[in-house]
Amino acid sequence: MKSNRWVFIILALLAGIGLGLAYGWLIDPVDFFDLPPDTLRADYKADYVLMTAEAYRVEQDPGLAARRLAIFGSQSPSAIAASGLEYARAHAFADSEIAMMQELVTALQAWSGIQ
Amino acid sequence: MKHIPWDILLALFAGLALGLAYSWVISPLRVTNADPTALRADFKEDFRSAIAAAYAATGDLPRAQVRLALLKDPDPMDALNAQSQRMRADSDSFQEADEVAALAVALENGSGDIPTAIIATEVVQQVEDFFTETVLPPPPDVPLVLTETPQTIETQPDVIAATARATQTPVPTLGAPFTLTGQDNVCDTNLPDGLLQVIVLNSNRRQIGGAKIIITWEGGEEQFFTGLKPELGNGYADYMMTPNVTYTIQLASGSDIAAGLTTPTCQAQSGETFFGGIKLTFQQP
Repeated sequence: MKSNRWVFIILALLAGIGLGLAYGWLIDPVDFFDLPPDTLRADYKADYVLMTAEAYRVEQDPGLAARRLAIFGSQSPSAIAASGLEYARAHAFADSEIAMMQELVTALQAWSGIQ
Repeated sequence: MKHIPWDILLALFAGLALGLAYSWVISPLRVTNADPTALRADFKEDFRSAIAAAYAATGDLPRAQVRLALLKDPDPMDALNAQSQRMRADSDSFQEADEVAALAVALENGSGDIPTAIIATEVVQQVEDFFTETVLPPPPDVPLVLTETPQTIETQPDVIAATARATQTPVPTLGAPFTLTGQDNVCDTNLPDGLLQVIVLNSNRRQIGGAKIIITWEGGEEQFFTGLKPELGNGYADYMMTPNVTYTIQLASGSDIAAGLTTPTCQAQSGETFFGGIKLTFQQP
């Protein structure tokens, strides 16, 4: 077999690998299910923090709010709430919603200090 | 006719297979932008609890509907009712279970005129509009808010000013009070003595799970809930009465009061007497 034939074969192999990777990563990536909450898209996470803040405003129970946020895993509840607040500010959430999230962050920071 | 380059085609397909194996099996993309539908079942329950808690705080039913639509449950009401029952059965927080049940009731009352199909299309459309990944340019009057962010204390006046919103509807509206539509003595030797059965229905005669029932007697009070025996119906609850004690019953969410309930004495065909039971039916008008 001619040597330039091998070159074509290797090029075809590399092209195939490239096509396979592009298809598997970009066009039709693996569908996941049974995921943990830390994989949620940032806007959903922020909305979850907002829900927790809305509930906190009435319940005034930082422990319960921390437990709700704990589903996101490794970060501290105040850090999770702060991430949500940061997203809310960057995406023009309503002022009242930002105020509620700020209140939650402040409360959780104080609560973390007590723990 | 030109010769087909089989060896090159074979190399191309082999490469394709290798690429797919790597991208699908060996190193699939790490998920960082999942939808709530992809969450594990227990995390979906946490999500529903948070929605219910937020609804209990704000009374904003349309927003709760939009949020629930994110989970794409086939029937959000059933999902909420079932979760409420599971939470009670697992001795989770009764307050949270109540919030979940209250949202189911509100959804039932509030969505009576909204077919599921609309929830599944229009509301999902709202969701897509609401949750867009597009980074919107901040409106001209907003960016200055960012300058205040490092000063946590400075934001306190805003917090206090905004508390007025919480006074809008601190408690979800649960609909009209229930009326006592049926009170019957039950003489059935197959049932336990002194069995008090309570059935709670909405205005469409659909059974309501998670309704809190308060039973009182001289020197005592207890609470129990519908839906803990789903095999007997979502709106079914029962309680064992002690003979010769007079009970009073009402629903915690507001209802007629069934007073003077005592275990009836029944007579079997053989002439023997035994303690029967009582069956009460509460329904929303």
